[in-house]
Amino acid sequence: MELFHNLAFGFGVALSLQNLLYCFIGVLVGTLIGVLPGIGPMATIAMLLPLTYNVPPVAAMIMLAGIYYGAMYGGSTTSILVNLPGETASVITCIDGYQMARQGRAGVALAIAAIGSFFAGTICTLIVAMFGPPLANMALKFGSPEYFSLMLMGLVTAAVLAQGDMLKSLAMVVLGLLLGIVGSDVDSGIKRFCFGAFELADGIGFVIIAVGVFAVGEIISNLSDPEERVVFTSKVGSLYPTLKDIKQSIAPILRGTGLGAFLGILPGTTPSIATFAAYMIEKKVAKDPSRFGHGAIEGVAAPEAANNADAQCKFIPMLTLGIPASGTMALMLGALMIHGITPGPGVMTSKPDLFWGMIASMWIGNLMLVILNLPLIGMWVSLLKVPYRLLFPAIMVFSAIGIYSTNNASFDVYLAALFGVLGIAWRMFGCSPVPMLLGFVLGPMMEENLRRALQVSNGDPTVLITRPISLAFIVVSVLILVVMMMPSVKKRRGDITG
Amino acid sequence: MSNMKSAHSRIFRTLIALCAAIAVFATASVFAADSYPSKPLRLIIPFPPGGSNDIVGRLIATKLSENLGKQVVVDNRGGAGGVIGTEMAAKAEPDGYTLLIVSAAYAYNPSLYKLPFDPAKAFTPIAKLGSGPNSLTVHPSVPAKTVKELIDLAKQKPGELICACAGVGSFQHMGVELFKMMAGIDFKIVQFKGGGPAMTDQLGGHSHFSLGSLIQTIPHVQSGKFRILGTGGAKRSSILPNVPTIAEAGVPGYEATNWWGILAPAGTPAPVVERLNKEIKTLLASDEVKKLFQKNGADVDYIGAAEFGPFIAGEMTKWAKVVKEANIKVK
Repeated sequence: MELFHNLAFGFGVALSLQNLLYCFIGVLVGTLIGVLPGIGPMATIAMLLPLTYNVPPVAAMIMLAGIYYGAMYGGSTTSILVNLPGETASVITCIDGYQMARQGRAGVALAIAAIGSFFAGTICTLIVAMFGPPLANMALKFGSPEYFSLMLMGLVTAAVLAQGDMLKSLAMVVLGLLLGIVGSDVDSGIKRFCFGAFELADGIGFVIIAVGVFAVGEIISNLSDPEERVVFTSKVGSLYPTLKDIKQSIAPILRGTGLGAFLGILPGTTPSIATFAAYMIEKKVAKDPSRFGHGAIEGVAAPEAANNADAQCKFIPMLTLGIPASGTMALMLGALMIHGITPGPGVMTSKPDLFWGMIASMWIGNLMLVILNLPLIGMWVSLLKVPYRLLFPAIMVFSAIGIYSTNNASFDVYLAALFGVLGIAWRMFGCSPVPMLLGFVLGPMMEENLRRALQVSNGDPTVLITRPISLAFIVVSVLILVVMMMPSVKKRRGDITG
Repeated sequence: MSNMKSAHSRIFRTLIALCAAIAVFATASVFAADSYPSKPLRLIIPFPPGGSNDIVGRLIATKLSENLGKQVVVDNRGGAGGVIGTEMAAKAEPDGYTLLIVSAAYAYNPSLYKLPFDPAKAFTPIAKLGSGPNSLTVHPSVPAKTVKELIDLAKQKPGELICACAGVGSFQHMGVELFKMMAGIDFKIVQFKGGGPAMTDQLGGHSHFSLGSLIQTIPHVQSGKFRILGTGGAKRSSILPNVPTIAEAGVPGYEATNWWGILAPAGTPAPVVERLNKEIKTLLASDEVKKLFQKNGADVDYIGAAEFGPFIAGEMTKWAKVVKEANIKVK
C-alpha cells in the first residue's frame, strides 16, 4: 500500500510540466548520442553538468538519468542497421540484429529492441521502487572472490557461444584475454604490452575494438563483394513485427530482463556483461542454436532487454547507497552534491521528491522512448536505401568522429583502423570476433578480482569455495562443464556444427 | 669612399633600430593587457570527464570565460595518469592561449614515470586554485575509534589490516604509503580501478579502511556506514571542523592534501601570466566559487604565480621521497 502511495507521489512530481520537459530533453539527447558511435553518455553528461547548476535538483537528475538510459535505447539502432555499435553495451545486438537487417527485417529488429527495452524498463522501475534498499545491501556482499567466480561462470558459459570450429573459438577467447591485458596492471602499476606508448597505458577501449572489427571490417568486406551490396540495399521488408515474432520474443525478453536486473544491481559489472550473458543463455536454451548469428530474433530481444534492465537497476546502488556503479553514475552523484544533496541511504527520507520523482520519471522516460522510437523506425530503415557509395563513407566518418571524441585522441582512430584490418583477416579465416570480445571484457576483470581475492586471503585459493556465494558460482561452472563433456551433448554439438 | 660607407652603415643601423623598435612595439601590443585575449583559449584537463580535475577545470573555465570575455574551451586529454594531456600542453605554443589544469599528480608523476618532457622547465606557473584533503575512514566493524587505536591495531596484527586504494600512482596511494611510513606500521594495500570501486569494497566490509578523498567518503560518514578517524590536511577541514587531522590524532607531521592549479607552457609572456593571475584571483574570491569548491569537498586555496613555483618544487621533493622509500614502481 505504501508503495502505491510513494509511486503516486513520485508520479505527481515527475508529471509536472517542467520535469516532463527535462525528461524529454534527456531521452532525446540520450537517443541521439546513443545512435552516434563512440559518443557515450559519460562525455555528454560531463559536458551538460554545468548547465544543470541552475536547474532544480530533481529536474537536473531526471534529465541526466534520461540521457543515460536514452543512450541505451539509441545504441541498438546503428548496431542493427549498419553493424556499428553505437554504445558499448549494444555490440552483441550487432550479431543477429544486423543479419536481420540484411534479410530485410531491420524494422522488426528495431521494434523488438524497443519493445524489449520498454518492458525491461517497466519491470526494473518496479524493482527499484519495491526492493531497492535491501537489494543494494545484498549486492555489497559481493567482494573480489564473488566477482571472480561470477566472471568465471560467464567465461565457461562462453563455450556455448562457440560456433563452428571449437579450436578457432578458443583461440579467439585467448586473443581477447591477451588484448585485455594491455595497459597498466591494477595491482603493480606495471605497463604490459604497451611498447612504450603512453596511449596504451590505460588499455585498449572496448569501443575501439568493437567499431573497428564490426563497422570498419564489415564495410571493407562488403566492398570486396559487389553482389552482397545489392542484396543489402534492395531488401527492406516489413517494418513491424508479426504475432509470431512477438511470441518468439516474449520468453527471451523475460529472461533478459531478469538477468539484466540481477547483474545491474551488482556495482562491479558492466552492461556489456549482461548483454553477453543474455545472448549466451538464449543460444543455450534455443531448440536450434544454429540460427544464431543468422538473424535470430531472440538474439536481439534478450540482450536489448538485459541492457536496459541493467542500466535501470544500476540506479539501485546509486540512489540507496550512494555507490557509483560506473563513471556515468559517479558524474550523476557529483551533480547531486553540487546541489547540496548528499547521496546515500538518507536521500529516500530526506528528499523523497527526488527519490520517488526520479523513479517515476524513469518509467515515463521509457514510455517516451518507445513513442519516440517506434515511429522513427520507418525513417531509420529508409536510411538503408541510401546508396552504399554515400552510406559507407558516412559510417566511416561517424565512426572516426565517435572514436576520436571518446578520449580526444587520434591514436585511438588509428587503432580502430588496425582492428578493422584484423577484422577482415578474421572474417577470411572464419574466426568469429564474439568470443574474442567476451575474453576481452571478462579477462581483465577476472584477473583483477582473483589477484585481489588471493592477496586478501594470503594466497589461499580456498577462499573461492569457502564463501557461499562464490561457491555457488563455482558449482554452476563445474556443472556446465560436466554437461558439455557428456557424450550426448557433445554429439549434439557435432551435429549442429557439422 | 669611406664617407660613403659610413653613410651606408648609418642608414643600415637606423633601419635595424627601426625594425627592432617596430618588433618590440608589435610584440608589446600583442601582449598588452587590453588586447589579450583576442581569441578563444584552450584549457587542457589531462584527465577524462568526471574526476576532481575535471570539476575544478570546468568551473574555472566557465568563470574565466565570463571574466575574460572570450570563451575558455575545455579540452579533456585523459590517459596515463595525466601524462598525455600534460605533454600536449608542454609542447603547445606559449602564447597564452593554451593553459593546463594540474593536481598533485603533476608533482609526483616525475618520480613515477619517465616523462616525455622536463617537468621542471616545461611550464610557467599561473596560480594554485584550491586543495582538498584525504580522509581516514574505517568500516564500522573495525574496533578502532581513533587514529591511534587503528595504529595500535595494525601493530598487534602486522600485515593483516586491509586498506582499499584507488590504484597504483593515484593520489590516494601516495597518501596511504606516506601514512604507512610515518606511522611505522604494516598493512595490506589492495588496489582497485579508481576510488569508486575501492569505496564499494570497504562499504561491504571486505576491506577495513581507506584514505579516500573527503568528498567521496562524506556521504558514508554521515549515514554511519563509515567511521571517520581523521582528515589528511595540515589544518582541520572547514567541512568537518570537529574531526581531527591525522597529524593531531597520532601521526605528527602527516599531510596529504590534493591540490589543483593552473599552468601555462614555459615562455608564456609575463603580461599574460599577470593578467590570468589577476582574473583567477578575482574569481576565486567570489562566494559562489568558494561554495562550489566546498560542495566538492575542497577549499579555495589561492597562491599567486611567484609562490606557486616553489610550492610545486616542494611537493615534488616530498613525494619523490615517498615514492623512493615506499619503492613504488610503475615503469
